[in-house]
Amino acid sequence: MSAARERRPSRALVQYAAVVRKEVLQTVRDRRVMFMLVFAPFLQTVVLGFAVDFDVDRVPTVVADHDQSREGRERIRELLADGTLRDAGRVPSAEDGSEALDRGKAAAVLVLPPRLGADLAAGRPAEVQVVLDGTDPNRSNVAGGAAVRYFGEVASRGAGPAPRVLLSPRVYYNPSLKTPPYIVPGISAMLLVVVTTIVTAMGLSREREQGTLEQVAVTPIRPTWLLAGKITPFVFIGFFDVLLLVTAGTWIFGVPLRGDLSVLAVATLLYLLSTLGVGLLISTLSSNQQQSFLGGFLFTLPAALLSGILTPIEAMPGWMRWITYLNPLRYFQIVARANLMKGAGFSDVWPELVALAVFGAAIFGAATLRFRKRLA
Amino acid sequence: MTAGRNRPRLFLLRVAAMAGKEVLHIERDPRAIALALVMPLVLLLIFGYGVSFDLDHVPLGVWDLDRTEASRRLSLAFTASNEFAPAGAADADRADQAFRRGTARAVLVVPRGYSKALSRGEPGRAELLVDGADPVTANQVLTEADAIALAEGRRLAAGRGAATSPPLEVKVWTRYNPEARSAVFMVPGLAAYLLAISAVLLTALTVAGEWERGSMEQLFASPVSRLEIVLGKLVPYLGLGLVQLLLVVVAGAVVFDVPVRGSPLLVLASGFVFLLGMLGQGLLVSVLAKNQLVATQAGTLSSLLPSLLLSGMLVPVDNMPAPLRLLSSVVPARYLVDALRQILLKGNGIGSVWPDLLAMGLFAVVVLALATFRFERRIA
Repeated sequence: MSAARERRPSRALVQYAAVVRKEVLQTVRDRRVMFMLVFAPFLQTVVLGFAVDFDVDRVPTVVADHDQSREGRERIRELLADGTLRDAGRVPSAEDGSEALDRGKAAAVLVLPPRLGADLAAGRPAEVQVVLDGTDPNRSNVAGGAAVRYFGEVASRGAGPAPRVLLSPRVYYNPSLKTPPYIVPGISAMLLVVVTTIVTAMGLSREREQGTLEQVAVTPIRPTWLLAGKITPFVFIGFFDVLLLVTAGTWIFGVPLRGDLSVLAVATLLYLLSTLGVGLLISTLSSNQQQSFLGGFLFTLPAALLSGILTPIEAMPGWMRWITYLNPLRYFQIVARANLMKGAGFSDVWPELVALAVFGAAIFGAATLRFRKRLA
Repeated sequence: MTAGRNRPRLFLLRVAAMAGKEVLHIERDPRAIALALVMPLVLLLIFGYGVSFDLDHVPLGVWDLDRTEASRRLSLAFTASNEFAPAGAADADRADQAFRRGTARAVLVVPRGYSKALSRGEPGRAELLVDGADPVTANQVLTEADAIALAEGRRLAAGRGAATSPPLEVKVWTRYNPEARSAVFMVPGLAAYLLAISAVLLTALTVAGEWERGSMEQLFASPVSRLEIVLGKLVPYLGLGLVQLLLVVVAGAVVFDVPVRGSPLLVLASGFVFLLGMLGQGLLVSVLAKNQLVATQAGTLSSLLPSLLLSGMLVPVDNMPAPLRLLSSVVPARYLVDALRQILLKGNGIGSVWPDLLAMGLFAVVVLALATFRFERRIA
């Protein structure tokens, strides 16, 4: 016991440790909450990593061949063999092709004019029509592009040596242009904010509803330490989730680990400060769990959509791009992707890290102030 | 006045009373009602303006080693187009750094000897370094760059008097959404998404709240039957959901010119069948989960993300691997997204929408039956 007297931990530390212990026990004992915090993000990453594939292929295509020549059939075979378009059968006329678009049986119709083979052989100009279902702009862009590129190549086969520009592309980081290595780090960022913000907001509102927060408030513990103790387990859970998701991403989806992972660790810590801070802030603004949940939801959903995780920020209109500068998810997804895929280090992403730190400090500070005021 | 004739009236009366109580709950919570009606509009703006893959002015670095008139013409062909915007000069090291920092998405490299090759009548060779991390953007960059290089080649050929018109022309017609606007694609999907979220989560929360506070047991002590409680709780949210659907479709038509080519009645009918299933799912979640915290997480897990990502709203279902396509066939949002796109964009009628309605109806029946069954068990 003499050792304890020599180095007695400060009172604040004891209080803090007690709250952490209580929170850990409470969280671990509720198996369903543990499931939601740990297993659900993992499951979602795996399912969504497979589901979100922007790589367009196998676009169902019907062909109206008015030519019926060998040459025409050869062109169709070559175009459909590429994999972007999938053969969905023949139709007698362009009108029947349109009908197939209406019914959703096909997303593209290829119309070969009469005498196409003869015209091509004779070097006369010919016109091929492609009718696209434009409902999904991404898909129609890719399908139309494939047809234009193929017939452009066919046309140039016959042409003589003309001056042209040969552009050879070299794709960095993700040469086969696969979606999962890009989307999985983004999904992790999204799941992390959903889990930490909403669970914190609702957890605190629940304590307020049940009155247990007031009970603890009459004990000698300081509000700041109470708060710190409540947040700590979630920081660890957040780190654990990131570790789990990055591991799953690497093993299952081939996410490369090109950068120094300490960058990701620092970014995660700063990011969690923001997401937990927002959760805390929401709980101080709501009077019950339902409001907390809706508030958390109203933050997380727009934040996820306006972060550049699913669609590029540059594709947004100017005023909306400015809003994204206020979004911690924006900075975290940039750091995570640049770090994992491109090997970016502190010297590359320090502006994003500074932004995350400023946000974290501001939001967490504001939340702590409000929390103390409500408890006092 | 036999008991038999009285029973349906009493039943309706009790359901109406339960519904009235629930409406009061909703009304007394102005924040919740504001959220339920403001959230659709906020999300509509975000999706309509913000969720787009269509990039203009992609930052392009240029590394010109040739430094001739011809090479400058080539880089100008890129940077003067709407698709690319100049991001300054670059070299091999700085290309990598620019990608890592996100200041450029592609770098055009014009090697020495480009103009000499052209003047000899040989093809001019150039290289395009592309940041492939984001595959959608990279694909767009590659397609656009190809088109620009082709056009530049034609311009050079025309200046030389070579044959300019290619003998084979491809004419592309894009139907339903010729300007390829994301909003037209997104709004029907968004309607399904919003309905899924608010119906599942609000029901799950309200019912779980009653369990948590113990007021459900009080309700059981009243003469109202289980079925009447369930129906009474669901009816107001059904109404709220239909209002949300109308709000999104009308706002989409006004703000984003999303067409309403088919019957509005069919839109409402599809929404109604879909909502029944979603409310049933919310009820099931709340019966299985004991408290609001678990109910929301389970509701999120089972409705929010699948409706966003497995419904075909953002990513076409056809592109998914087979097991996920199978999984998506039990996500009712998939059928509503398909039905709404057919009705709104293509103007299709019941003749081609019925399989979707049938699938949603089937889901609703199964899930409501399960929920009522578990509900009975839970209180027994």
